[in-house]
Amino acid sequence: MESNKKYWKGLEEFNKTSDFVENNKNEFAEPLPIEDVLNEAGLSTVTPRRDFLKALGFGLGAVTLAACQPAPVHKSIPYLIKPEEVIPGIPNYYVSSFNGQSVLVKTREGRPIKIEPNPNAGQFNCGTDATAQASVLDLYDVSKLKAPQLKADGDLADTTWAKVDAFVAAELAKVKASGKKIRIISSSVSSPSTKAVVADFTVAYPTTKHVQYDAVSYTGIIKANENSFGKAVIPKYNFDKADLIVSFGADFLGTWISGEEFTSQYIENRNYKTLAKGKMSRHFQFEAGMSLTGTNADTRLPIKLSEQGPALITLYNAVTGANLAGGVLPNNTSAEKAIKLVGRELVQQKGKALVVCGSNDVSTQILVNAINAAIGSYGTTIDLDNPSKRYAGNDAEFAELLNEMNRGEVGAVFFLDTNPAYDVVNTKAFTDALAKVPVKVSFADRSDETASLCDVIATNQNYLESWGDANTYEGTYSIVQPTINPVFNSRQAEQSLLIWSNAPVKDYYQYVRNNWEKNILPALGKTWNDVLQTGVFAAAPKAAGTYTFNLSLAAVAPSVLNSSKALAKDIELQVYESIPMRDGKYANNAFLQELPDPVSKVTWDNYIALAPKFAESKDIKEFDVVEIKGSNGYTITLPVLIQPGQAVGTASIALGYGRTKVGKAGDNVGKNAYPFVTFANGTLQYANTVTITKTGATYELAQTQTHHSFEGRNIIREASFKEYVKNPAAGTGKHEEGHKSYDLWDKYEKPGNNWVMAIDLNACTGCGSCIVACNVENNIPVVGRDEVRRRREMHWIRIDRYYSFEEGDKSVSEEKEIAHMENLDRVSVVHQPMLCQHCDHAPCETVCPVLATVHSSDGLNHMAYNRCVGTRYCANNCPYKVRRFNWFNYWNDSRFDNYLNNEFTQLVLNPDVTTRSRGVMEKCSMCIQRIQGGKLQAKMEKRPLKDGDIKMACQEACSANAIIFGDGNDPNSEVSKALRSERIYYVLEEVNTQPGIGYMTKIRNTDSLPTVQA
Amino acid sequence: MRNISLIIRRVWKSAFMLSALSVLIVSGTQAQDAAEGRKIFKEKCTSCHALDRDLIGPALQTVVPTKSEAFLLKWINNAPAFIASGDKEAVEASKFNPNAEMTAFPSLTPEQIKSILAYVKVGEPKKAEAAGAAGGSGSDEVSSFSLVGVIAVILISIVVLVVLGRAIKMLERLILQKQGVVIVEEEKVSMAAGIGQLFKNKKFIFFFILCVVTFLASFGWMGMWNTGVHTGYQPTQPIKFSHELHAGTNQIDCQYCHAGAFESKNATIPSLNVCMNCHKSVQARDNHDGNISPEIQKIYNALGYDADKMTYDKSKEKPIEWVRVHNLPDFAYFNHSQHVVVAEEAIRKEKGLKPNEPVCFACHGPVNTMEEIYQYSPLTMKWCINCHKDTKLEVKDNAFYTKIIEAHEKIKKGEKITPAALGGMECGKCHY
Repeated sequence: MESNKKYWKGLEEFNKTSDFVENNKNEFAEPLPIEDVLNEAGLSTVTPRRDFLKALGFGLGAVTLAACQPAPVHKSIPYLIKPEEVIPGIPNYYVSSFNGQSVLVKTREGRPIKIEPNPNAGQFNCGTDATAQASVLDLYDVSKLKAPQLKADGDLADTTWAKVDAFVAAELAKVKASGKKIRIISSSVSSPSTKAVVADFTVAYPTTKHVQYDAVSYTGIIKANENSFGKAVIPKYNFDKADLIVSFGADFLGTWISGEEFTSQYIENRNYKTLAKGKMSRHFQFEAGMSLTGTNADTRLPIKLSEQGPALITLYNAVTGANLAGGVLPNNTSAEKAIKLVGRELVQQKGKALVVCGSNDVSTQILVNAINAAIGSYGTTIDLDNPSKRYAGNDAEFAELLNEMNRGEVGAVFFLDTNPAYDVVNTKAFTDALAKVPVKVSFADRSDETASLCDVIATNQNYLESWGDANTYEGTYSIVQPTINPVFNSRQAEQSLLIWSNAPVKDYYQYVRNNWEKNILPALGKTWNDVLQTGVFAAAPKAAGTYTFNLSLAAVAPSVLNSSKALAKDIELQVYESIPMRDGKYANNAFLQELPDPVSKVTWDNYIALAPKFAESKDIKEFDVVEIKGSNGYTITLPVLIQPGQAVGTASIALGYGRTKVGKAGDNVGKNAYPFVTFANGTLQYANTVTITKTGATYELAQTQTHHSFEGRNIIREASFKEYVKNPAAGTGKHEEGHKSYDLWDKYEKPGNNWVMAIDLNACTGCGSCIVACNVENNIPVVGRDEVRRRREMHWIRIDRYYSFEEGDKSVSEEKEIAHMENLDRVSVVHQPMLCQHCDHAPCETVCPVLATVHSSDGLNHMAYNRCVGTRYCANNCPYKVRRFNWFNYWNDSRFDNYLNNEFTQLVLNPDVTTRSRGVMEKCSMCIQRIQGGKLQAKMEKRPLKDGDIKMACQEACSANAIIFGDGNDPNSEVSKALRSERIYYVLEEVNTQPGIGYMTKIRNTDSLPTVQA
Repeated sequence: MRNISLIIRRVWKSAFMLSALSVLIVSGTQAQDAAEGRKIFKEKCTSCHALDRDLIGPALQTVVPTKSEAFLLKWINNAPAFIASGDKEAVEASKFNPNAEMTAFPSLTPEQIKSILAYVKVGEPKKAEAAGAAGGSGSDEVSSFSLVGVIAVILISIVVLVVLGRAIKMLERLILQKQGVVIVEEEKVSMAAGIGQLFKNKKFIFFFILCVVTFLASFGWMGMWNTGVHTGYQPTQPIKFSHELHAGTNQIDCQYCHAGAFESKNATIPSLNVCMNCHKSVQARDNHDGNISPEIQKIYNALGYDADKMTYDKSKEKPIEWVRVHNLPDFAYFNHSQHVVVAEEAIRKEKGLKPNEPVCFACHGPVNTMEEIYQYSPLTMKWCINCHKDTKLEVKDNAFYTKIIEAHEKIKKGEKITPAALGGMECGKCHY
């Protein structure tokens, strides 16, 4: 059975643009220089015989001389005194935590090389996101300052800690004497020890106040909960308890509050195990831009930003039967219809439903609270009694701080883990205000936008060098412990504060330990050593209370409508956190810069996303550079990306780009979109209205999406939940009876192990953390924007994103597709992780002239780099296009100095994996170093290999457990069970490559609402 | 009466016997004293004491004569208890090194202690040892000398023969001249001409060229095969560390220094704290006129260790840069533990190692005879592969193989299971 849907990877493929058709016809993506060789000049250039002989003679001589090197002199330098716990060649693991994710830090010979999720964290082990995986690179970032800096003669210059301490102590004494205010400005701090340090500092300097300010703020939710329920908190959302999820612009699988945690909860109701029980949650997404969460929704409807308020009122009316004014969407009847149906369904699913909204507007969030209270979410899917502690930023407090600074009341400011000079709404207002503060101290690790305006940079340490802790939820504590000595002359910010406040305990390790032993451990009944081993502990959670919403919405609804109305002019611009770049803090991380955006597949740039129909109406084409002018007058130029699914009349720009002082990799990548954020009704609003004018220039974005055409083959298999319940094999394309197949090749015996993989397309959200995990594990080079444009990205695992129509069961022919151009904003998306399929009958193997790629007896397709001569026949013959060619020595070529071309950053390389040289092919090895390591471990311990002993880097990183790896010869292994699922199909099964990786069909829970289908 | 005399006689007898016996014992002890004492001293005392200089404890030849034997007996037997008893002298003595207390040796009998003291008094028996050592090293030199000598003798005899031949020719000429025979000088000319004629012979030229080409080709072929093969590679190391002395003479187990080989892919060069376990006290002063051996001094220098003050100075630390002897290319993965732990028995059998030889010898050769370490095996891929093809795996005691062997034996019954049979020759097993 052929799939009844038509998929395409990008608009150029869909529209059959002339370039695409032309490129697609050619065997090679780039034109071969045959013409140059065969033209007259090429043929007439005669190499004189003497020159030829000279070259030959020289070559022969050089090779002979090179080969005659008597013996290599390689130095081998052992430890002077070997630390007891270090055995060279054996990794050590330490628990730590990164942005609230409990992680294991893998160190080799004392240097961290990989971040893995903490398997002992139990319920807190939610995998890791891409930023966590990439964070190990930040440790070795050479753009960081090598020593603290102090302003001397108007310029910041390297200095010593003694001088810094003397300077700051003297200045603080002056400020104290003058009675002026001291302000510590930071992003949200969840660390109890840091909070205690700040409290101690406040005791020493009583005019101190801690102002928490997040570039991407959640103040709206906090204030709304304070207003509605008297609790100024971000609640704990339980997506695992929700059978029906309705999201209004909240990218909860990606960047919203804690994406990786919500992903693991969300997928619990949608993965193959749950499906096998005949259950699946439903998810509606109403949003303007195409978010990662939107691509995973069962039903996604584009709504304008200005329609979000009315949409929520409509839903409120539908759920409660109330009759608030403004609950209509006159220009979006399909959305209005859908919302009314959703409302009905929410009432049916009372207590098992959840409504979330990505807005930071207090009134909007109050309205959401009212809806959630009406559908009985509190106590089940929303827990206000064990709230999240991740974000505590207060936008109004920060705005007030600027006023204080302008009035000259502030004597000293300290910037901790925050960079307002880059990410405030009005940069100029901030820098002007800052200039009026006499003493400015930054704890940045580099001379960033804010730090470079300060008098002192007291260089802080990376989390991998630091002691610390985190308090993600009420009663849940995790530890941060150092895994390496500070690599530069840096000092923890907390330690600096302790020294400056002349605290009795100045050593921050001792301080953290005291704090835990006094305030945290007794309640948990654990010891300090337990914490160092397990990393995260939680007290028994409080019972989640039910809350009723008793407030009047009389003032709230008009406020929401007013905000909406203000947006309803020109083009409505949404600024959002992108998955790779987030708020821009990690902009110098080359792994993240090259991680393709999950939806647009753009690397190394931000862009303005427009709907296809809308762009057409404005006569704007993809890659046109346009000038974007905000209502506040802020103007930037950005290339256009045509984004199917974008609401017509809206545009989206990612935050986090356009850093100017972050380092070599991140400087001047994209444009800063923070000035488009507005401050209204006491909170930051991530929306604006803009006008767009064409500049006439074009700029090619480095996209990875259509680098390989799939020629319209039947690669994605999909079924609706209804079909699945009827027939679990629905959509797999499996025939009732197997048809006879003939093999040209011998069957491979796999008597020992048979390493195979299953990938659950229903669980994969496309977040890309596996890509970064694979990069770090396998020393995959970052190639840079230009090389990505040339289709030379090196990622061993990529996530293919396929668009298709929301056309229900109807088969869609090509003519019809074009006729449905207006439906281009109603697309659905499937993400498919694509990596070497380790085919049993691998087409790459038969064409390799030097047998560099061969099959193993345990089901793997081996790639011997030292054998490869670089003919690239294999890449050409691979139907999955997963082979990557090394065009350069990326790790040792100054032209590709993204991060790795210095001895220092090379410390991040995994010593168990070779760095590949120029001219060789590479591809997913199925983490063969891990397989070999796991087998050896078992052999040394004289026990059989257990299922789960060996885990792939991508599998480990996945929050959704979408990747299952194991021994296919063991019938009880997890992967064998998964591969026996009826949903399994193999990509391009029909060409009989016999892949080792099975995919499970994508199931969409759309059927029970047939009327929603437009 | 008879009884009394009998008793007296018996008493006398026993008294006599006793006194005779005690005399015997005393004289015997005195004879053995120093040698016995030296043995005990080397076993128990050297980690803290030397005869002529302060270590952790004081220099014994200076301090022992100042103490009474009774004091020393008590002190050595159980110093901590002695000090605790509050004895003035003992408390005073304990102040020598406030950081370290003298270890108690309750197992030492007074006789043994006395013998140690005797050794301390006599000192190191210098001459015999020195002579022995000189003799030993002398004989070694002779053996190498003899080879050079033989060659020299042969060369000289050739020269003598040539000279003699000339002389005989000359004499013959003189005799012929005397006899009045005219000497024909043409012979020489014809010789050169003959060779010239030979080179005009096409067959000969062909043969000659064939020989040259064959020689060059085979030479080139051999050269090519051995390019990058460094068997016998023996770089000069920053410290003249002798495996012969440590692993051979002193029988130190490989694992003591190269512990990593049994746990990790790296065999690991020992860090200097391992060296210092012994070399804090072993300084080979006897061989260097009472000075610390210059090679051992290098360890101290690297650590910033002052042997006299016994203090470490971190600021003077400077790591030792050894030269790698066994260089595998980056793209080849090799794991020591896989071979010496998992495959120990198999490799032992395959390589026919004796039970007293460590498994390391299979590839690293007789390390215990290497004055300086050199590359024993070629470390070529062929060498790896051949061993993987031939070695029979010992799978009986390792539960890991149970599942895998069962599976394999279904296909190849009765054949021996080698690493190759389990996929040990696939590229990806070593190259990734």
